[in-house]
Amino acid sequence: MAALKPGEVDLGTTIMAVSFDGGVVIGADSRTSTGTYVANRVTDKLTKVDERIYCCRSGSAADTQAVADIVKYHLDLYSAEHGEMPTVKVASSLFQELCYHNKNNLMASIIVAGWDKQNGGSVYEVPLGGSLHKRDFSIAGSGSSYIYGYCDKVFRPNMSKEECIEFVKNSVGLAITRDGSSGGVIRIAVITEDGVERQVVYGNQLPLQYTG
Amino acid sequence: MAPLLEPNAGFKFDNAKRNQLLSDKGYMVPTATKTGTTIVGLIYKDGVVLGADTRATNGSIVADKNCRKIHYLAPNMYCCGAGTAADTDFTTSMISSQLALHSLNTGRDARVVTAMTMLKQYLFRYQGHIGAALVLGGYDVMGPHLFTIYPHGSTDKLPYVTMGSGSLAAMSVFESSWRPELSREEAVEMVKDAIEAGIFNDLGSGSNVDVCIITKDNVEYIRGYSQPNERVPKEQSYRFAPGTTEFIATAPAATANDAAAMDVS
Amino acid sequence: MTSIGTGYDLSVSTYSPDGRVFQVEYAQKAVDNSGTAIGLRVKDGVVLAVEKIKHSRLLVPNSNKRIMTADKNIGIATAGWMSDTRHLVKRARDEAHSYNSVYKSSIPAKIIAERMGMYVQAYTLYSAVRPFGVSTILASIDKDGPQLYMIEPSGQYVGYRGCAAGKGKQVAKTEIEKLNLEELTVREAVKEAARIIYAAHDDAKDKLFELELSWVCEESNRLHAHVPQSVLDEAIEYAERALDDDDDEMEEDDE
Repeated sequence: MAALKPGEVDLGTTIMAVSFDGGVVIGADSRTSTGTYVANRVTDKLTKVDERIYCCRSGSAADTQAVADIVKYHLDLYSAEHGEMPTVKVASSLFQELCYHNKNNLMASIIVAGWDKQNGGSVYEVPLGGSLHKRDFSIAGSGSSYIYGYCDKVFRPNMSKEECIEFVKNSVGLAITRDGSSGGVIRIAVITEDGVERQVVYGNQLPLQYTG
Repeated sequence: MAPLLEPNAGFKFDNAKRNQLLSDKGYMVPTATKTGTTIVGLIYKDGVVLGADTRATNGSIVADKNCRKIHYLAPNMYCCGAGTAADTDFTTSMISSQLALHSLNTGRDARVVTAMTMLKQYLFRYQGHIGAALVLGGYDVMGPHLFTIYPHGSTDKLPYVTMGSGSLAAMSVFESSWRPELSREEAVEMVKDAIEAGIFNDLGSGSNVDVCIITKDNVEYIRGYSQPNERVPKEQSYRFAPGTTEFIATAPAATANDAAAMDVS
Repeated sequence: MTSIGTGYDLSVSTYSPDGRVFQVEYAQKAVDNSGTAIGLRVKDGVVLAVEKIKHSRLLVPNSNKRIMTADKNIGIATAGWMSDTRHLVKRARDEAHSYNSVYKSSIPAKIIAERMGMYVQAYTLYSAVRPFGVSTILASIDKDGPQLYMIEPSGQYVGYRGCAAGKGKQVAKTEIEKLNLEELTVREAVKEAARIIYAAHDDAKDKLFELELSWVCEESNRLHAHVPQSVLDEAIEYAERALDDDDDEMEEDDE
């Protein structure tokens, strides 16, 4: 299985996505590191691949950027050929195809989320081996290990948009305080039929929690 | 029948064999010249300023005391290189020629994102084996742009960046004093300070500061903008007076002048 | 070229001076010699029908099907050479499979028609190959409802409400134009399709033939399938009765 090569830039990361009726909320921390050095403290790991479809990237920065660029190209081609926007399922299937067939050369764990006319908001997960899973919500990256319990406890199906945003803020907030490879600000995007709404939670405005 | 000649075309693996032999015998395998480097870039009010030190090293030896690390890419774009010197030189010059063809085809100045995409796709293809770490700056129809590109092909877009072994020293300068809407003078001064932080605090960086200021319709490339390591005159003369070394005999040596003049009559 | 001809029909890579590619037109002739094939797109599905001409009484009934399935929900009926048909159907199946493995959803009719059109067109470009002697009628129900396309030997593909190819295409087209396809149900369309194939059949030239009928509709779970025997029998009965009535009328006219 692929591992980080010496000197490779890592997105030691916390990413997550939650679907609600009519859209999705996605979130990520903003830390990019090379070894022990923070190469970028305001990274945007929420990457647009189509008008209403985003991916949350974790793993190698180079690999996930390359994969996202290729998927973006294929989705543009899809729109031109079909005369309509691709579904989130189609986008996630493209990610899976690339991640599975190049699994020995890639270090990429990706969450694909977005809105489409057929299915509304949906979340898919493409973890390291290149499998594909549909999810109500998904967490990934090194920081996610610290919040599995919290997320399983707090998540409820059919949350409102506002509840989903709070859920993402709290979860990512908890992860970045415990995971050394996650940090910086929390970036959030809300994707609905009406558009994509971006938010930033600064490091000094993180949700209240025990700090010792 | 003619004897079979050894073909002289194709690849030669002499160096690989030599390196294998050296390594088998427990010797150090020769290393490529690296630019243990400080390179930086920042965006200011009217454009981008790039900066670089000028030291190239080969192990612990300074291979070049005044090399160029800010490479030309296009009339509106320059690129600082850190890492393996040969790789940064070759990569930037190759992308530069592709960009020239691109703008000839489109009839426009190439965009900075185009150069960034070409570079990242090229470096990604080689999976980090091309050791080029770059700071790309330029000005196009979309305004000023600044990117860092890592050897594995990942990129970042930031208002101020540093790279190379001196990047930590240089970043400390930016993190403590950068702000949006800097004036040109402030920007160039800050870049100089950042590079000097690398020159003085990082062993891999040294010598002079080169800067390059890219604005909407103008580029100013200043070699040796700051020269904090100028060689000063020696305080004492170390010339020895003639006759300091004793000799016991002399023998005339033939010179060209002694040769018999050619008869040209 | 010693005796007759201009020589412009020898290769697909040569145009005639008036801008035609004769080899493609000859391929169309091959289609025109074949038994009739029709497609009807109605409000709740699509029907395909083929006049399968039998060259021998020794053939097993219902063998050598001329309507095939490209994907679960896509049927293909052709007029022309069967060997070329089988090649194109294999291609259609490959395209459907590759689309499905990339996008994890079934291929829309528009896309498979376009890809088949591109493939067929490529065989009109090079002198080393022969254009396909086949007109392909493609029927399916996708997320946009019932779909019907026909791909010609030239590579041209067009979406239709009703279409016909083969030796009886003129008669068939005239009959199809009389139908109110927007209002028809597949149950009715099956009968009409049978009637049209029987009407287009020329008893004087080809004695033996077999009617093949397939559909894609709610009744078939949106899958492409040959119609059940009972439906086929009913359609044939309807077609024969219509033909008899027609003959009676003509006889009356004679009186």
